[in-house]
Amino acid sequence: MGFSCGAVAQSLRRSSPRARILEAPAQLAGYDADGLGYKTFRPDLVIIPADAEEMAAVVRQLHQARVPITLRGAGTSLAGGPVAAQGGAIVHTSRLRAIRRIDTAGLWCEVECGVTLQQLEEALAPTGLFYPPDPSSGLVCTLGGNVASNAGGAHCFRYGVTSNYVLGLEVIMLDGKVRRFGGPAGGRGPWQEDWKRLMIGSEGTLGAFTRFWLRLMPQPEKVWTFRAMFPDLSSTERAIHALVRHPSFPVAIEMMDPHAVAMVEDSPLAVGLPRDHFLLLVEIDGPARLVDQRAPAVAALLRGAGSTEVLSSADSQERARLFKARKAQGGLLGQISPDFLVQDAVIPKQALAEMLRFLYSEAETAGIPTVTVMHAGDGNLHPNFLFDSRRPGDVEKVEGISKRLMEKIVAAGGALSGEHGIGNDKAAYMPWVFGPQTLRLQKSVSRIFDPRNQLNPLKIFADRRFAA
Amino acid sequence: MNLPVGERLFGSFFDEVDGVVAVPARVSLAEIQREVAPRGWRFPLVLDREAPLADQVSASAFAPASSRFGPYCDNLTGMNWELPDGRRVRMGERVVKSTTGFDLHRFLLGTGDRYGRPTDFVLRLRPLGDAGTVWSLRGKSASLEEVARKLLHSSYLPWLESLDWIGDRQSVEPWLRLAVHCPKEELEMFGAWVQDMARPEGIHVEATPGDGSVSDGLPDAVLKTSPNYVLSLARRLTHGTGFRWVGLCACAAIHLYLPPELRDPTQIQALLEPLQEMLWEQGGDWSSRHVSSTVVLAEEASWLAVLRKEWGLAA
Repeated sequence: MGFSCGAVAQSLRRSSPRARILEAPAQLAGYDADGLGYKTFRPDLVIIPADAEEMAAVVRQLHQARVPITLRGAGTSLAGGPVAAQGGAIVHTSRLRAIRRIDTAGLWCEVECGVTLQQLEEALAPTGLFYPPDPSSGLVCTLGGNVASNAGGAHCFRYGVTSNYVLGLEVIMLDGKVRRFGGPAGGRGPWQEDWKRLMIGSEGTLGAFTRFWLRLMPQPEKVWTFRAMFPDLSSTERAIHALVRHPSFPVAIEMMDPHAVAMVEDSPLAVGLPRDHFLLLVEIDGPARLVDQRAPAVAALLRGAGSTEVLSSADSQERARLFKARKAQGGLLGQISPDFLVQDAVIPKQALAEMLRFLYSEAETAGIPTVTVMHAGDGNLHPNFLFDSRRPGDVEKVEGISKRLMEKIVAAGGALSGEHGIGNDKAAYMPWVFGPQTLRLQKSVSRIFDPRNQLNPLKIFADRRFAA
Repeated sequence: MNLPVGERLFGSFFDEVDGVVAVPARVSLAEIQREVAPRGWRFPLVLDREAPLADQVSASAFAPASSRFGPYCDNLTGMNWELPDGRRVRMGERVVKSTTGFDLHRFLLGTGDRYGRPTDFVLRLRPLGDAGTVWSLRGKSASLEEVARKLLHSSYLPWLESLDWIGDRQSVEPWLRLAVHCPKEELEMFGAWVQDMARPEGIHVEATPGDGSVSDGLPDAVLKTSPNYVLSLARRLTHGTGFRWVGLCACAAIHLYLPPELRDPTQIQALLEPLQEMLWEQGGDWSSRHVSSTVVLAEEASWLAVLRKEWGLAA
C-alpha cells in the first residue's frame, strides 16, 4: 500500500488524542462490509474522530500519509459504498451526532453528518415539521450516508429525494480545509458555481461531509393509506399508471410482487394476504378536508383497475397494520437467507412487465429465489436475490443475473440506481450508461478535488484506483 | 445484448405512462402545452409562456409553481448539452429518479453559458386538472406577511401553485398571490379555505377563475435567500427601489423586474452588490441574466481550471 498502518495510527494518536483508533482485527472486522454483506474488504485502520475539527485534522494527515480514505456512517449502504475497497483507513462519523439548530420559522435545520434519520424525526416531531426522505434503513442510517448516496424512500414519488432537501453542506476537502457550499438559503454562497450539486450523491469521493442545512416541510394534517391486492400484473400496472396521473398525487405507490407477498405469508409475520397476488400500498396526505374528499376516488380507482380487495384507513395504528407486510419484507430477507442482494434500478414504467418476465426467467433458471418490491410511482425497482455465498456458484449466478438485468434496464432507457448509488457493486456498468464524451466529463469531476482518487477509491467508476 | 455505441443522446419521445417528454430547448412553454395537454399532462413551471424554455431556465431556477413542484432542475430529468466546441453530451436521465454518477445535470443547469448550452430537455410532466383559481389578497402589509407565514407552515403548502408576495410602484401596498390547479370539484373547498384564512386578518380576497397558472415574465435578477428573510427583504427592496419585486415565498427566491431602460449590467450590479455579503452569509446568492461576469475566488478558479482542462475547453 505504500504506507505503514502502524506508523499512521501512532501519529494519529498523538495528533488527534480524542479520536478512537481501531487496529485490532476483531475491531476492523465490523467494517468489512456494508449492506452488500457478501463483498468484504478489510480496512487497515478505523478512525472515529470526536468532532469535525478533529476529523479535518485526521483527513489532512491521512492525505499526507497517502492512505486511501473511506468515509462511513452507519454502513447501511446496499451498493458497496462505505467499504475500504482498496484498503487504507475508514473514517467513521458516528460521533458527529449533534442537531445544531431547528429553525421552525425558516423551515430548515442544521445537523451533523452522523445524525440518524430517526434522531432527526424525533427531534422534529414536536415542531409540526418533518424531513421527507425516508429510506427503509431510517432507524439507523445517518444523514451523511443519505446525502452521499442521494437516498430516497417510499415517499419520494411526491416529496422527492435527498437532493431536493439539501440546502447546504460543510465539507472537509482532501487537504483538510473546511469549505461550505450553500447554507440555510440553499444557494451557491460566494462561489460562482453551485458545487453542492456535485457533492450530493458523490458517494464519499469528493470530500468528507461534516454538516448539512436541510429543508423541512410542514407535517401533513392527515394521511390515508390504501392496501390493494391484484390477481395479475396487468391489473397492477393499470392501477399504477392511473395513480401516477391522478390529481390526488399520491406520496407513495409501493408494489410487492407475489414472491414478496408469499415470503411474508410464509413467515411468522404473515398478515393473511393471498400468496399469488401483487400488492399495492398507496398513501395520500395533506389537509384533512382535501384528502378526505380524495380518498373515495383513490379506492374507486384501485377497484376499477381490477383489485380484488381494497382496504384503507386514516387511523395511524390501522395504517401501520396495512403497511406491515411491506415493512416486514425488508427485515425478513436477512432472516430467511444467509445472504441477500438488494438491487436498485429505475425503469420506464412501461417496461415493468418485460423486466419482471426477464427477472423471473433468469432467477428460475439459476435457482436463485428472488422477491421484488418497487417504488412504483417513480419506477424504482428493487429485486432482492436470496442466496448463500458459501454455496459454490451462487455469487456468480447472482452477479450474472444482476449484470444482465442492468444491461437490459440501460437498454430500455432506465437508470442504474435510483437511491442506493453505484458503490463498487455497479461501477463496472457505468460505461454502458454514458457515451465516451459524457463518461470523460463524469470521470473528471472527482479529479477536480481529488486528482489521485484517494477518497473512496474504486467507487462509482471501476478504474478510480488510488495511485499513491 | 448490444448497447448502442457513441453518445447516448436523448431523441424525441413522449412517454405518457411516466409523464416525461423530450423537447428542443428553444421551444416555448406554449408550444409544449399544446403538445401535451390533449394527452392530459402539463409542464407547470412557467415564467413566460412565449419565451424559449432554455431562456426561462437560465433566467431563474424557480417559477411560481416551484412552490408546489420545486425548481426547474428537479423538473427537468435530463438534457442534451452542447459544449462550446460543438461536442454534444447527455446529462441526466429519462426516468424521474436517478443516483447514477455525479449530478452534472443539475450543476450545469445553473451555469448559464459558461460551459455550453442545453439543446434538448426531458421534462417531468404533471397531471392536467380541469380547473384552477388565482387569488389576490390585499390588505395591510403586516397582515399579509402573517398570512404568508401561516401558509408556509400549513399542510396546504404542497398544493399551492403560487404563494407569491408582490410589490411594485404601481401598488400602494404589496399584495399576496395564491393559486391552485385542481379538479373542478375541489375548487369550492380551496376557495372556502382562502376566505377562512383571510377574514380574521381583515384581508380582501379577489378570485380569478381559470387554470390557476401565473407568469410574470423573465426576471431581470434573482435573489436567493431563506424563508426567514424572504418577506422582509422583498418589502425592504420594494420600498427602497420602487421596482417590481416578486417574492416566491416557499422557494425563498425574489425576482426583480426592471423597466427596459434600466436593464443595464452596471446598474444591476450597483443595485445588488450591496446585498451580496448578507445573502452569502445565509448561503444565498444573486444572479442576473444581464450580468455575465462575477468575481471567482482563487480556490474556485483552480477547480474550474481543472474542470476546463479535463473537459477539453479553452481556459
